[in-house]
Order: sequence, then C-alpha cells, then structure tokens
Amino acid sequence: MTLDFGLMLDKMPEILSGLWVTLWMWVVSTILGAALGFLVATARRYGPAAVNWFLKLCVEILRGTPFLVQLFLLYFGGPFVGLRLEPVPAGLIGLTIYASAYFSEIFRAGFQAVPRGHVEAAECVGLSRTQILRRIIAPEMTMLVLPQCVNMAIILIKETAILSIITVPEMTMVIGAIGSQQYAFVDAMFLLAIFYWVLVEICGFLGRLAEARLSKFRFAVS
Amino acid sequence: MSFRLFELMLWAAGYTVVLSAISIAIGLIIGLLVCAAKLSSARALSLPATLFISFFRGVPLLVQLLLIYNLLPAVGIMVPSVVAAVVGLSLCTAAYQAENLRGGFNSVPRGLIEAADMVGLSPWQQLTRIRAPIALRLTLPALVNEAILILKASSLVSVVGVIELTRMAQNLAASTYKPLLFYAVAGGFYLVICWTVAGGGALAERLTKAGRA
Amino acid sequence: MNKRFLMKAALGLSLALGLPLAAHAEETLAKVKAAGVMKVGTETAFAPFDFIDETGAHVGLNVDMFEEIGKELGVKIEWVTLPWDGVLPGLEAGQFDMVAGPATITKARVERYRFTVPIAEATVALLKQASDDSIQKPEDIAGKLVGAGKATAQLAQVQEYGKTLEGGVETREYVGFNEAYADLAAGRIVAVANSLPNIAYVAQQQPDTFAVVKPAFGQPSYFGFIGTKKPDDASLMDAVDAAILKMKKDGRMEKMQEKWFGTTFDTPDTVPEPKV
Repeated sequence: MTLDFGLMLDKMPEILSGLWVTLWMWVVSTILGAALGFLVATARRYGPAAVNWFLKLCVEILRGTPFLVQLFLLYFGGPFVGLRLEPVPAGLIGLTIYASAYFSEIFRAGFQAVPRGHVEAAECVGLSRTQILRRIIAPEMTMLVLPQCVNMAIILIKETAILSIITVPEMTMVIGAIGSQQYAFVDAMFLLAIFYWVLVEICGFLGRLAEARLSKFRFAVS
Repeated sequence: MSFRLFELMLWAAGYTVVLSAISIAIGLIIGLLVCAAKLSSARALSLPATLFISFFRGVPLLVQLLLIYNLLPAVGIMVPSVVAAVVGLSLCTAAYQAENLRGGFNSVPRGLIEAADMVGLSPWQQLTRIRAPIALRLTLPALVNEAILILKASSLVSVVGVIELTRMAQNLAASTYKPLLFYAVAGGFYLVICWTVAGGGALAERLTKAGRA
Repeated sequence: MNKRFLMKAALGLSLALGLPLAAHAEETLAKVKAAGVMKVGTETAFAPFDFIDETGAHVGLNVDMFEEIGKELGVKIEWVTLPWDGVLPGLEAGQFDMVAGPATITKARVERYRFTVPIAEATVALLKQASDDSIQKPEDIAGKLVGAGKATAQLAQVQEYGKTLEGGVETREYVGFNEAYADLAAGRIVAVANSLPNIAYVAQQQPDTFAVVKPAFGQPSYFGFIGTKKPDDASLMDAVDAAILKMKKDGRMEKMQEKWFGTTFDTPDTVPEPKV
C-alpha cells in the first residue's frame, strides 16, 4: 500500500492538469458567485417587495440543501428538462449558483451595517442612488464583508472536491484515480488532504494580509 | 413515486438526522476539549489544538471521509462504514465548534469573572458556574448554524457507503430512472429538516436570550 | 484527539515511507464461523449482479448466490456497500472478509487477489442509445467519448481497445455504471463499455432507450468473487469455492443465472488463465 513516487512523477502531467482544473474552477466560481450574490443582495434591498420575496426563497432553498444534491439535480436531473450540461460547465454553474446564495447573505448583512448617516449625508450633498451605491456603500461594505468573503472562498475551495463525483477531472478525481490504480488509496488521500490544507492556509493568510492592509480605513465606518 | 419508495426516503431522512445529531453531540464534546487545549497557556496543548483546528477546517470533508474510512482499518481499527462516517463528521465539526466556543469564552465579560473572584469562587467553580454557561449561551446561534452545516455535509457520507438520504435518492434515481424526482424529494427533505432546526434554534434563542451575555 | 491526530500523521508518513503495518494473525474461516457472520463488500450499482430494485430492495445474482454460500458455510451474510473504487481498497484494509462485485478476472488482479471459480461471463461489449444509428459495430466508437466505471476492468479494456482504433477513444470514468448509463441516456457520451451480462440486462429493462452493440469487442473473460491472498484467508476462499462448485453441480447456479440473465453461462471449474 505505498505510492510509487517514480510512477507519481510519470503521472505529473495529469496531476498538474487536475491542479489547474481545481484552481481555475475555484477562482471563476468564486468571482462569478460573488458578483451574482452582489446582484441578488442589491435587488433584494432596492427592488420591489415581490422580487425580494422571490429571491429570499431561492436563497433559502440553496442554503437549506446540500451542494451535492444541488449538483445531482442539475447534472442528472437537467437532461430530463432539456438542460444537458457537460461535467465542467455543470460544475461551474452549480458552484457559482451555490456560492451566490451565501455571498448574497454576506452582502445583505454588509448593506445593513453601513451606517444610515453616511447614506443620508450623501443624499444631502445630492449624490444619485447609483453614485451612493458606488461611492459610499460599496467601498465601506468591501471592508466590512472582506473577512466573510475570504471565508466563503475557503469554503468553495473545499467544495470543488465534490465536483469529482460528477466526473470533473480536478485534483480529488485525479489523485483518487492514481491511488486506486496503484492500490495506495490511503497515501493518495493523505497527499490530497495536505494539498488542500496548504491551499486553504495560503488563502487564509492572503485574506488576513488584505484585511490588515484595508484596516487603515476602518475609522471610516466605526 | 409509490408510497413504499416515499417511506424509504423518509426512513433515510431519519437516518440523516440521527447521524448528524450524534456527530454534532460528539463534535461538541471533542470541540470543548480542543477549545480548552487551545486556550491553555501550555504550548504542548495549544499547538496540537491549533493544528487540529487548522487541519480539519482546511481539508474538504469528502477527502477527510475517504482518508478516515481507509485509514482506520489500516491501523487495525475495524469499524462499520457508519462509524467511520460519524468519526469523520465529528472531527470536522469539532474543529469548527472549538473555534465557536473559543469566541464564546473570549466574550465572557471580564467584570463577571472579577466579581466571581471577589466572592471567592474557585477556578473550577468559575468555569462550571460562570464561564461555561455564558460561553455556551453565547455560542448557541453558532451551534445551530453548525448543526445545519453538518446536516448538509452528512450528504457526503454516501461516498463511504452509508445509506442516508442522498445515497438513497441516488439508488432510487438509478433503479427508477427518475433522477429529477428523487433528488428533488431529497432536497425537499433537507429543506424541511434545516428549516425546522433553524426555526427551533431561533425559538430557543428567544427563550433563553442566548447570543447575549 | 491530539494524540489521534499525531498518530494519524505519523501513520500517514509511515505509509508514505512504506513501513509495513503490523497485522494480527487470525484464521478467517474460523473467525467467520465463530461470529456466525461473513462480511461481504460490494457495490449496489451493477445490475443484474448487484443492485437496488425499484422497490428499494438490495437484489441480484450476488444476493441469491451469497445467500446459498452462507447456508453452505452456516453463516449469515452481512453486506457492506460502497462505490466500486472503494471496494478493493476496503478489502485490503480488512473492512470485510471478501468481495462480491463480481470482478472480471484479469492478469493484474490475479497477481494481487485470489478469485473464486468463475460465476459468469464477463466479456466486454458496448451499450449505445437505441436511437443512435451512427454506431453499428464496436469500431464505430473511434474518436468518440465512451463511459465506464472508475477502477473497473471494463474501463481498462475499452482504453486498450481504443488504442487499436484510428482516432482512438476518449473515456470518461464514473463513480458507478448507473451514472454512466444516465449520461448515455442524456447523450453526453455515445456508449458505455461494460460486460455483456450487465448491458444485456440494462437494454432489456429499457429497450426504448438502450441497445447492445454486437459483437462484444473484448477478449473472452469471466467474472469471479474476490478475496485476498493472505494465508489466513485461504481456508475461507477454499470453502466458498467448494460451495460454488456444489451449486454448479446441483443446478442451483443454473437456476440463478436463468433468473437474472435469462440465459446460462458455460464457465470453467477453475480460475482460467486471464487473457486481459
């Protein structure tokens, strides 16, 4: 039950391609998820009550069900309603939609935390609604929500492992396959665990760095 | 869907709830120990606790489960899949609960501890009568949140062969060729369970004024 | 818990470094008989050998055969079900006494495991969409995307076969064959490579959706149940072999094959030299 590191080297192109798939799917789904989440949060705050109500229901459904079940529904259920997605797009869309629900809640809390006084002051000096959103609320919120966004990004790295179940060729899929081919499943999983651990720690470290840099603006909202 | 299949799904949903509840309870106990170790001034205790928290929060649960499931027998611990699943879920939630509890303990107002000192409570009495109850009350909302996370995360134990809600849906989707129906029903069950827990948590918070010191 | 983590870390390292783990010796047949229970690992996504039927019950040739094997040995069967890529690692880890599966008897596996005498034919063929006219013979999959189960002999064979075709064959590896069938029905892949008894059953269950591509492209091969080569397990495997041969002789096996496949197979009484 030992991994043959010589064989592992032979498999390097596969491992690197798995790493690449994990990384790009993570980055793209995080960015798209955050953008979609921001739209949802904005629509819920400034849109009509019916829109708010509908989006709230969607968000609660997404937050109340496991990602794996959402993914199965999209990937295996989709073809029955004419939505036939390949594994990679299905994974990307699934992860983005899943992420957007959580991001929208982070931003919603962010909106609520921006002091009313700042918005009123901006209204007084005659800024338009979009200007207030862009110049006042967005920058102040960025700082407030940054830690939670980093946290969500970390959750999403880990969720990418689930994509292996619908045959997306990312790290877990690639390393798992190598492990079972070489009858060294435990070693392979151990390597994989260390890989994610390092990735998550790096992400957390960068997040704390960004927070420290931004914290000089903290007085603006406290 | 026939009544027999609905019954199977219902049974599997119950299994998911029991599995999650056991894992959360064990996780709370381990979490308390890890939290105590982490808050300890002895580095020999706090360093392993830090590593524990970092590892179990840094590795996808799917990978943890596959690792634990295959590792336990390799070290001579023969357990059924479901035990491996509970061990995996418990260790994972323990790491998160330890951090939540640490936040709770750190938020116990200093004044209360000073007051307890003044009236002559021993450190142990302070812990059991003052600090722990307040910290637990402070972390109740986080605990409810964690319970919901674990309920959803338990769907992953299907990969080590435990037949819970997700695995049952997978099996029945395959044998009836109706994936849309069974995954939607599974999703519906998860929603009902999670919303019930969230509602119950909110009620408990209101009754105990939890979340406040 | 700290200790457990450290132990785990140390263990992972020792595994990575290839240090042997201490194994405690105990004769398996005696252990199984004393417990009155034999643990059998399997995957419930391999119809008609092993699957969950539309009432949610665990059924198939495996269930019937092990029922009889259990009677011969005087023990109850306890099923441990896993995705296939976890079944053989589970056997090596000692999670169960043997594996049902069944698994194709291959050169690579014979090196590592002990097979029971064959229980059915395993020659690999292709399943396609019934409406797909572009695939009439196995060679027509050249340059197309074909699915199979992860860590299966059928996957290895279709990959080998692909090398002989102009344009090769692209493969996609699924956690289980059920997911591969679902993707074939959805049109994400053009064919699924699996053993003839399996896909014949699937095509018979869903004649509007699936069809078998004839002839089988694989080398003739057989299915057997699997145990380890550990000396402790030898007596158990001998006993299971004896039980299967007895069932072959008294006609029980034929009846089961008839029930699940609608046909019977002529299988050798010993593990044949694998061609794949």
